[in-house]
Amino acid sequence: MHAKSYTKSRPIPKAMTQIPGLDGVLEGGLPLGRTTLINGGPGAGKTVLGLEFLCRGAVAGEPGVFVTFEEGAEAMRRNAMSMGWDLPALERANKVAIVEARFSGEEVLSGDFDILGLLAIVGGHVKRIRARRVVMDALDVLLRVFNDQRRERDELYRLHEWLIGSRMTSVLSVKAQREGNTAAEYDFLEFMADCVIRLDQRVVGQVATRRLRVIKYRGSGFGTNEYPYIIGEHGIVMVPVSKAELTHQPLGSKVSSGLPGLDAMLNGGIRRASCVLLAGTSGTGKTTLATTFTQAACKRGEKVLFLSFEESQEALVAGMSSAGVDLRPALRAGKLKVQTALPEALGSDEHLIRALGAIGSFKPDHVIVDAISACIRMGSEHAAFDYVMRMVGVVKERGITCILVNQITGVLGEEEELSGIGFSSVVDAVIQLRFIETDQEIDRQMLIVKSRGSAHSNRRHPFFICDQGIRFRDNSLTPSLPAGPVSRKDGGH
Amino acid sequence: MKRVPPAKPSPSQNKRGQYLLRLFIAGNGSNSQQALINLRQLCQEHLNGRYTLEVVDVVLDFQAAVRDNILVTPALIMVTPRPRVMILGNLGDMRKVLVALRLPGIPS
Repeated sequence: MHAKSYTKSRPIPKAMTQIPGLDGVLEGGLPLGRTTLINGGPGAGKTVLGLEFLCRGAVAGEPGVFVTFEEGAEAMRRNAMSMGWDLPALERANKVAIVEARFSGEEVLSGDFDILGLLAIVGGHVKRIRARRVVMDALDVLLRVFNDQRRERDELYRLHEWLIGSRMTSVLSVKAQREGNTAAEYDFLEFMADCVIRLDQRVVGQVATRRLRVIKYRGSGFGTNEYPYIIGEHGIVMVPVSKAELTHQPLGSKVSSGLPGLDAMLNGGIRRASCVLLAGTSGTGKTTLATTFTQAACKRGEKVLFLSFEESQEALVAGMSSAGVDLRPALRAGKLKVQTALPEALGSDEHLIRALGAIGSFKPDHVIVDAISACIRMGSEHAAFDYVMRMVGVVKERGITCILVNQITGVLGEEEELSGIGFSSVVDAVIQLRFIETDQEIDRQMLIVKSRGSAHSNRRHPFFICDQGIRFRDNSLTPSLPAGPVSRKDGGH
Repeated sequence: MKRVPPAKPSPSQNKRGQYLLRLFIAGNGSNSQQALINLRQLCQEHLNGRYTLEVVDVVLDFQAAVRDNILVTPALIMVTPRPRVMILGNLGDMRKVLVALRLPGIPS
């Protein structure tokens, strides 16, 4: 993807994994008829990756043999079923064979032995179902029985020769030792295999994140970065990362914010496919403003996906109805979808995949994130920043309007910050809400801090929230741009 | 120490003291051939006339290997007397094999 060699040679043949996103990283798939090593700690997803490679291949017409050295065949069938792969059906159709190759632990060892028996079994199944793929899961368990590094190497060499000789596209997985303590036999394995993939699971701020990295790929270019992935309901999903090239859609036509006064301040409304930041301290009316926009959009027949990290759908609907915004008609009409999640319940990768799933199936015109400040609870500031950047990237690519609600602590100039990490480059418009205290009362003000490529008001406009929703104080704003030099052209960047 | 009265035959032997041994080999592999030699010698010396030996070549009959869960070869299974025992390797360590097969009267 990124690390293309400059001398272009004939591309080597590849076997597609058909795992979403992975073939992109591998520039087409795993090396056809060669061996790939998957290295990773416990729980990183080695078995799932192997199983998925095999199942997807079998469905696509490449039968495969799965050899499990650690888990039982029944457990493997259950695992597969939980991700929607019907292994028994594939086995009956002679598209998959499972070989449970486990020692009971009660065997007596006397003298030298070799894996010819295993190869005969695997070879028998390969012939029987005309397999093109072989997955060997937890190969380290088999190697351990030799209890001798030199013997392990000999047998690995024998296995490798056999796999290459039978022209199988094979995936071997081994449990990695602790970081920086890779045993010599795995070095040998890495040297032997044509492609080496490392899966890594780490815990950042109590939230597990998974990363995939291609260590080597003989005869092929590959994405050299660390790629986040999750193990979702249907197996492994690579998380889209921020791309080098910007493919954002140009900003579209203006749509009403739902408030004639705000439309006037914005010289017509909010632009489609733009990213709007609503910033303000707690209680200034950010969610009310976001739901006012939601209500107006849904009334026009547009669809809104509301990602709520702060409250449940019921609490949101009830809270907003007391502020004069009734979301129920939009929900009933299927124009509004509220997706709620506790930020700390999942890692930022899972949150993103979940949101992208909803975006893909619901196809909203607008997405609202309430609030990005809560995203820090996904694990770390970096995770939150990552989530927001990637979300905005995907949404902009699809021409969807993105409204980000950000609760700030009141420090000036913090509107576009998420705890010190600015993301102003992706934000097209910033609307700031704040309290203003007089000796008599507390009032609210709304200010357009910026609006890329559009004239906008540069005055603070007082407003209040009543049971009719947000209302601007009459004298400050009429439904057209106020007279006088309040508008300026902001040429954008 | 209590002495167990020798009323019944020891559980390590069936009624006729017959041993059923099944050796899995893989073609002409050196370990497999060595195991065959070692096992024949053991049978002659310790099981004279009291054994049946089945030799299964997994290259020719992989289903047999599947049935008995053979992963490495050579592998020897003592089917009877029960309980069954599996010994992996070319049987080079004869003392270990004899112990595993619960053969009485092992010379020390």
